[in-house]
Amino acid sequence: MISQNFEYSAPNNLNEALALLAGGNAKVLAGGMSLIPLMKLRLAAPDHLVDLSRVADLKSIREEAGSIRIGAMTTHWEIESSPLLRAKSPLLAVAASNIGDVQVRNMGTIGGSIAHADPAADYPASLLALEAKVRIVSAKGERTLGIVEFLVDALTTALDPGEIVREIIVPVEAAGTGVSYQKMVQPASGFAIVGAAARVQKSGGKVSLVRVGMTGLAGKAFRATGVENLLAGTGGTAADVQKAAAVVADGIDANADLHASAAYRRQMAKVYTARALTQALSRAS
Amino acid sequence: MKIGGSYTLPVARERAYEVLQDPEVLARCMPGTDHLAKIGPDEYEMKMKMVISAVQGLFAGKVRIADQKPPEQFRLLVEGSGKVGFLKGDGLLTLVSSEASTEVRYEGEVQVGGVIAGVGQRLLDTTAKLVIRKFFEKLTEFVGEASQPAAG
Repeated sequence: MISQNFEYSAPNNLNEALALLAGGNAKVLAGGMSLIPLMKLRLAAPDHLVDLSRVADLKSIREEAGSIRIGAMTTHWEIESSPLLRAKSPLLAVAASNIGDVQVRNMGTIGGSIAHADPAADYPASLLALEAKVRIVSAKGERTLGIVEFLVDALTTALDPGEIVREIIVPVEAAGTGVSYQKMVQPASGFAIVGAAARVQKSGGKVSLVRVGMTGLAGKAFRATGVENLLAGTGGTAADVQKAAAVVADGIDANADLHASAAYRRQMAKVYTARALTQALSRAS
Repeated sequence: MKIGGSYTLPVARERAYEVLQDPEVLARCMPGTDHLAKIGPDEYEMKMKMVISAVQGLFAGKVRIADQKPPEQFRLLVEGSGKVGFLKGDGLLTLVSSEASTEVRYEGEVQVGGVIAGVGQRLLDTTAKLVIRKFFEKLTEFVGEASQPAAG
């Protein structure tokens, strides 16, 4: 039961939604997979909810000029099962298929997930590996940020009051790109204890591009550039992968909770990074 | 839950020790503090409104400073409670001089209970680190401003 009263608006289009949010006091309701439980537990008590589920503009997956644009209100299931994403930029679809359970994937949205910025959410690892961009709108205008700039800290994004995520932009993959997302799942919550997303390209027997995104390990998801630098230009052998994955937790202040200590997370980060790289390399040609 | 870490403030040790115990400075730098008053020697009462993502909680509590060894060490005892849960912490702060700056090392034990601990266990450690980091960032900003020569 939700214990407190609140205003509820369900605007039919984006302009109406942005006007309602312009005051800065209303809270956006996307899929409600994080916000509603918090309200039921009385941990969150917003005065006004603006439900974006009727804003049709925010629900689409389309290809445009070498990129795929995913509307903020697209559900995890729609991403997971999108033929366009599966064919042209599969990493995000793989990440979506790893989220929570079927009920959550049917309701939860990519915009809601990244705006909540849970440090163990699945998308950020893949979005970092994809060097995704986030298009943000408000009543005052719009701006586009790289995912690194968007994810400021644990549960903190670059969104200002009144702003919402409009769409997420990922590249159409070049032919031969190999991707993988490997997640150590905490069974009760479905969140990642650690999750590693890898994206690689090979050329002339060498690793010509490598991107690694990590979630769950630190306060916010991050790109493991140390790993990338060690693997780039090598032949991508098992030994190269092990050597590169070994540095993933270097200099990282690792999270600790009931389920996994910081030391255990650091170790698992190496193991899952190596698995993600190995699988991505095996899929690259 | 154990917490620990260090942060470097760009001021001399004596100054760092002073600002870390100045209630006005603490009230300005501690995220969400909207009331902090002295209620006894080295003892303060405070009210905080924490807003982290969609979660918001009002906490009322006390802060006590003990075992003072200026300018190198003191102990901070914190107790607070609100609708969403309670918090009890005991931390030792050690200040180490290095040239023109001071490294503040902290270690301690925090206990969190109530609804917030029951459902948010997974995020407690991350959130504690986030709040501490924000505090030191604001404190760094504050000491930076305070050391600027007055304009005009």
